[in-house]
Amino acid sequence: MALPKRIIKETERLVADPAPGITAAPHEDNLRYFDVTIQGPDGSPFANGVFKLELFLPEEYPMTPPKVRFLTKIYHPNIDKLGRICLDILKDKWSPALQIRTVLLSIQALLSAPNPDDPLATDVAKHYKENEKDAQRVSQEWTQLYASA
Amino acid sequence: MGSDGTDRNTEDLFFVGSDDESTAGNAPMNVDGEIYMPQRQYSEPLFLGNEGSGDDCDTNKTSMNLDEETHEATSRSRLEPLFLGDSEDDDPLYPTTPSSSSKGKRPMIKELYESDTEVGSVADIPRASSASSFSDRVSVSPPPITEKIKEKRSPKKPPLKKRKLSLSSGLPIVELDVNTFAATYIGEFVVSNAWSNVSGNGYVKHNDPVRIERDQKDGSQPSSSKKGAGKPTTNGKKQLSIATMFKPQPVQPSKKKADSIVRLLNSRGFEFGRLPQDVSSWVSKLLDLSIVELRGKMTDCPERLSTGASLIITIDVYMLPAAFVPVGHTTSEHRSKLNFSEGSETQGELELRERKMAILKMFDVLGLKPRAGAIQGGGKNDERLHQNTLTQIGKQEVKAKEIVGDGEEIEVKEEEDLSKNDLDMIYEKAQHSDCTLGEMEPADTFNLTLRGYQKQALFWMQSLESGKSDAREATSMHPLWCQYAFPIKNDSEIIDLTEDEKPFYFNPYSGELSLTFPKAERNCQGGILAYEMGMGKTIMLSSLIHTHLASGEDVPEAATASTKSKQLRLDAAFKPAARRKPFKSPNATLIVAPTSLLAQWANEIDRSSKQGTVKVQIWHGQNRLDLDAAMEDDEGDTSIKIIVTSYGVLVSEHAKSEKSSHWKSPIFETEWLRVVLDEAHACKSRTSKTAKAVYALRARRRWAVTGTPIVNKLEDLFSLLRFLDFKPWSDFSFFRSFITVPFLARDPKAIEVVQVILESVLLRREKNMCDANGKKIVDLPSKEVVFENLEFSMAERKLYDSIYNSVKKNFDQLSARGLIGKNYTHILAMLMRLRRAVLHPSLVLSPEEDRALSLCGDGFIDIKDILDAFQENDRGSASGSRVFAQNALANLGEDASECPICMDVMDKPMIVPECMHQCCKDCITMFIATCEEKGQEPGCPTCSRRPIKANELIEVVKPQNSAVSGPAMKQGTQVILRKNNFQSSTKLDALLQNLLRLRDQDPCFRAVVFSQFTSFLDLIGKALQRERFDFYRFDGSMDVKKRAAALNDFKSTSRTPKVLTVSLKAGGVGLNLTNANHVFMMDCWWNAATENQAIDRVHRLGQQKTVYVKHFIISNTIEGKILQIQKRKTAIVKEAFRGSGTGAEKESVENLKIMFGEE
Repeated sequence: MALPKRIIKETERLVADPAPGITAAPHEDNLRYFDVTIQGPDGSPFANGVFKLELFLPEEYPMTPPKVRFLTKIYHPNIDKLGRICLDILKDKWSPALQIRTVLLSIQALLSAPNPDDPLATDVAKHYKENEKDAQRVSQEWTQLYASA
Repeated sequence: MGSDGTDRNTEDLFFVGSDDESTAGNAPMNVDGEIYMPQRQYSEPLFLGNEGSGDDCDTNKTSMNLDEETHEATSRSRLEPLFLGDSEDDDPLYPTTPSSSSKGKRPMIKELYESDTEVGSVADIPRASSASSFSDRVSVSPPPITEKIKEKRSPKKPPLKKRKLSLSSGLPIVELDVNTFAATYIGEFVVSNAWSNVSGNGYVKHNDPVRIERDQKDGSQPSSSKKGAGKPTTNGKKQLSIATMFKPQPVQPSKKKADSIVRLLNSRGFEFGRLPQDVSSWVSKLLDLSIVELRGKMTDCPERLSTGASLIITIDVYMLPAAFVPVGHTTSEHRSKLNFSEGSETQGELELRERKMAILKMFDVLGLKPRAGAIQGGGKNDERLHQNTLTQIGKQEVKAKEIVGDGEEIEVKEEEDLSKNDLDMIYEKAQHSDCTLGEMEPADTFNLTLRGYQKQALFWMQSLESGKSDAREATSMHPLWCQYAFPIKNDSEIIDLTEDEKPFYFNPYSGELSLTFPKAERNCQGGILAYEMGMGKTIMLSSLIHTHLASGEDVPEAATASTKSKQLRLDAAFKPAARRKPFKSPNATLIVAPTSLLAQWANEIDRSSKQGTVKVQIWHGQNRLDLDAAMEDDEGDTSIKIIVTSYGVLVSEHAKSEKSSHWKSPIFETEWLRVVLDEAHACKSRTSKTAKAVYALRARRRWAVTGTPIVNKLEDLFSLLRFLDFKPWSDFSFFRSFITVPFLARDPKAIEVVQVILESVLLRREKNMCDANGKKIVDLPSKEVVFENLEFSMAERKLYDSIYNSVKKNFDQLSARGLIGKNYTHILAMLMRLRRAVLHPSLVLSPEEDRALSLCGDGFIDIKDILDAFQENDRGSASGSRVFAQNALANLGEDASECPICMDVMDKPMIVPECMHQCCKDCITMFIATCEEKGQEPGCPTCSRRPIKANELIEVVKPQNSAVSGPAMKQGTQVILRKNNFQSSTKLDALLQNLLRLRDQDPCFRAVVFSQFTSFLDLIGKALQRERFDFYRFDGSMDVKKRAAALNDFKSTSRTPKVLTVSLKAGGVGLNLTNANHVFMMDCWWNAATENQAIDRVHRLGQQKTVYVKHFIISNTIEGKILQIQKRKTAIVKEAFRGSGTGAEKESVENLKIMFGEE
C-alpha cells in the first residue's frame, strides 16, 4: 500500500526541521520504521545521554498511535526493561492531530518528568518514590553506562 | 371372357394414365343405380390383369382346380375385384350369403345396393353421394353391417354423442377431396420372400397379375362384435351416414385375432401363396383400413409351385380415397390427452396408432419422402426415422414422436443451434418477411403520427382482428404435417407429362392423411404483439382501438362473433350463464396492465386521441366505480370506451367471483370487444391466480402485449396462447405433447412448431431491425454506458469484509457438507446482506447502530445559532475562545487550511462545534469510527476535548451555484453550515458527485436513479435533499395516484435539475421517462436484461438526446462477481431454456461458487 501523504509530509518536515535534541530517520527499506535518538534533557538524570529508540507507524496511523520503544537501557519509572513506554498519548489519549514530532517531544518531556504514580517499571517507581535521590543517581549511572556513546 | 379381353385392354390404358378422371366420372352414376354396376364389375377385373396375357391362363387353370377352396374362389372371382380395395369387406357378408353360391354374387350385390340406398336415404343421403368414388367401389357393402353392429350395441350409444358432433364437423372439409379422388399410385415395392402354399403347375407364372387379399373368415362375425365393443365410438355413434366413411372398421375384427395373413391369389382367384409375415404385418392393416389397394405382379416364381417355394412379387400401391377420410382428426386431440394424462391407450387409440405405424412403414418401404413439413431431413434419415418409429411400436407415443420429429442431419445441426440457442431463432420465423408487411393509416380520431413499423403493426393487428385473412401470408404448413407427392408411375407408357405432381399430406403424429394443404391455422382474433420495449406498443394499440372502430366492420362480425363468444364462455367453464343483458355488441376495450402503468396507459391513450373520441377509465383502487355505469353509454355518445385496470384488481375480482356463487364481478360478466394484456408475461405461469383470472375474461378480441413472450421457458408461451384461445395450442396437454415434451427431449422440432405458431400469431420487432429500405426502424439517439469503479472507504471495507468473511465461512461449511442446495434461500439472504453492504453501511446495521436513517430534515443550520450556543457554553470563561470561534467562522470557506489529521488541504471541512477546530470530513469520521471500534471515547483531534459526536459535527459546504440560498447562507462568505447528521457511503458520494457535476454543466438536467432497495432509495433521497436537489420518488409502495403525481412532477418543465429515484422492480418496466437522459444504476441485478429494461425507460422512443448511463460498482466486492454472473447469465438463460430439470439448480450452485470464489 502506498505511503499516505501525511507520513511523507511528516518525514520531510522531521528531516528539514528537526526538533532540538531529537533525530528521526526512516529506514530505507521501510518508510514506516524510524530510527530515533533523543538527547536526555538538561537538568534531568538523563542529561548528556543519547537514547536510541525505534518508532513504527502502523497501518492505521494516524488513526492509531505510532509504536515507540527505547532501545537503550534506561532507568525510568515509566519505561520498562524492554523499553516500552507508558505514556497516555501513545495509548488512549492518542489524537490523530499528534505527529511523530509531538510524540517524540512528549517522550523527551517524560524523561524530564518521570511519573512514578503511573508506573510501568514498578521496582523503579518504588525506588523513585521511596528515595528519589538515590533513584536519580542510578538513572545517572545507567545513562553514563548505556547512553553515553 | 374373350369379349372382356378387348374391354380390358382399353380399360387398362385408360386407367393407368388417368385413373382419377375415369373413376370420378363414374362415381355418381354408380351410386345412383345398379345398372352401371355390372360394367364396373367387369372392368375392374380387367384392369387388374393389366399385363394383358392373363386370359389363357385363366381357362387353363380353372379346369385343374377341384378342391373346395378353389371352387369358392372361382365363384367369387368375378366379383372380387370389386372389393379389391378392402377385400375384408366381404367377410361379414358371408354369413348372410350362401357360401357355395355358384351363380355368383351379382344378386347379392344387388341386395346390398338396395339395402344401402335404403339405409343411406334414411340416414344421410348427401353423405352417400358425397362419398363418391370411394363409396361406390369400396364402401358399397358396409352400411348394412354397420347397421347390424350398431343395433347390437345400441345401449352404448349415448356416451358417444360428443364424438358424433366432432365427426360431423370435421367431415365437410374432407368430402371435397374424396370426391375428386380416386385410387392413386403412390409407389411400388418388391416382396422377395413371399411363399407359396400350394404345389402344382399353372397357378401362376412370370408377369402374371397377382391379387392380394386379406383373409376372409366365416368366424368374423363374433370377433367383429367383440371388436366393436372396443370401438363403440366410431360405429355406434356415427349413424349410418357416416358409416360409409368408416366402413373398414367393422371388418377389423379379423385383425384382432393377430391375423395378418395376406393371401396371394391368381387372376382366377386361386390362392397360391401368402405374403411373408414381415410384410403382411403392416399390409394387412392397410388393407383392413382400405387405405391402399395393392396390385401385384409376379416377378419371379418357380415353374412349378411347391409349398414354401419363395415368390418374388412386385406390388404397386394405390392410395384409396378412404385413406383421406379424417379418421384421426377428431380423435387426435383426445388421444394425445389420454396418452399424457393416463398413459394408457384406448382401443381406438391403439388402432389409430397401428394405422399410423402401418402408413409410416409403407412410406418407408415405398421410399416416399416428405417434400416439406414435419419431417424435413434427408431421405436417408427419414428411412432411419421410420424404421425407428416402427421399432418403437408398443412404446409410448411420446417416444415415437420424438423420433419421427426430425431427421438426423437436422438434428445435429439444430443441436448446435440450440446450444447457443437464442430466442432470436424462435422469433426468426415470425420476423421473417415482416419488413414488407403492409402498412395502414390509423383513423382520423387518432391524434398522433405513426412510424412506419407502427403502421405495419396496425395493419397486422387489424387484419388479425377482422379475421379475414392473414396479414402475413401464412404459407406455413400446419407444424404437425408433412407434404408428400404422389409419384408418377414410371413404368406406364402413357403418361400425361403435363400433369403436375400431386401433393398429399401426412401427419406422422396422428397418422392422418389429407389432400388439402393443412394450413397452420389461426382461429383466434388477436395475437401477441411482441415489440421490444420502447417501440410504442401503447401507441400502436391505441391506434388499433381507434382504427377498428372507425372501420366499423363490427356489423358483419356480430354474427360470427356470437358463436365465438359462446365458445369462449365454454372455456371459462366456471362461469355460469351470464345474466342476459339486452344484446348489444360489445364495444369496450379492457386494458390490463401492471399497476405502475395504469396512469401511463390512460395518459397515452388520451394523448393519442382527438378530444372527446375516447373515454378512458382507470378501474383500480378501493373505491372502484361501478363498471356498468362506466360502460353504459349515453345515447349518441360515440366515444370509445376504454377501461384500464391492473392484474391485481383482476385477481381479486376473480377471487371474489369464485367465492360467491351468485355474484359475479362485472369485469368478468362483461363481454369485451377487446382485451389487451400489457406486459402479458405477467400471466406466464398458467397456474397462477393472475393467469386464471385472465383466462376468465370474456372477449372477442384478445391481445397480449409483451416484449418478452418467452421469458425463460417455452411454456411461458402457453399461457399467452391460452389467453388468446389459440387452438389447438391453448390446450395444455396438446401444447405439452407437441412442444414441451419434445423440447425437453431436445427435439428441434419443438422449436419449429413454436416458430410456426408464432408466425401466425405473433408480431415482433426489435429496435435494431431494418425496414424494407434498410433503414433502422427505430432511430434512437445513442446510449453511452459507463461502469464507474469505486473504492470503499476504509470503514466500509472493514464492515464489508467482516460480513463477507462470515458469509463465506457459512457458505464453505454448507458447501463442505453438501447442503448448499437445501440452504439456497439462506445463502441468498446472506448474499442480499452483502449486496446491501456494498451500497451503504446503514443498510446492514441494526437500527441502533445506524444513524443515517433516524434523522430528518436537511440538517441546515444557521451560523448565528452556533455562535450563540458557543457564547452560552463559554459564558464566563476565557473570552479568547469566543474570539477564536468567530475568527474561525469568519474564515470559513476563504482559505484552504491544513487538516491536522491528513496534513493536507482540508476537503469538506468539518467543525467540532464545541471548540471550532476543523478537520477533513473523511479524516474525522474515520477517527471517530476507529475510536468507537476500540471502545474509546473520541475527542477533538486538536484539543482533545471530548467527547465529540459524529452527528454533531458541522459540515461546511461551499455552494457551487447561486440557486441554493437560504437562512444558512452567511453573508459574504458564501458558506453553508450543515449538521453532519447524515452518513454517506462511497456509492452515495459518487452519485452526489456526479449529480453535482451535472448540475454545473447543465443547470436543468433530468436524471433517473435506479436501485432495487427502497431503503437505499430512502438514503439517496436524504442525500439529495441535503444537496438540495428536486427529487421524486417512484416505488411499489406508492399508490397509483402518488405514482402518477411523482411522474407528472418529474416530467413538468422547470429550470432546476430534477432527479427521479425509481425502484428497479416497480419502475423497471413500462414507464416512459424520456424526458431524462441520465441514468444512474446504483446496484446490479442478477441479470443484465432487467437492468437494460430499466435503462430503456429512458432510452426509448421519444428520446431526443444521447443517453448517459452510469453503473456504480465497488471494486473487489460481490458486485464484480454479479457482473461475472450477468455475463454468464445469457448462457444460463439459454441453458435453462433447454429445460434440463436439474440444470437450473446446478447453475445456481455454480453461480454461488463464483460468488465466493477467489478472485
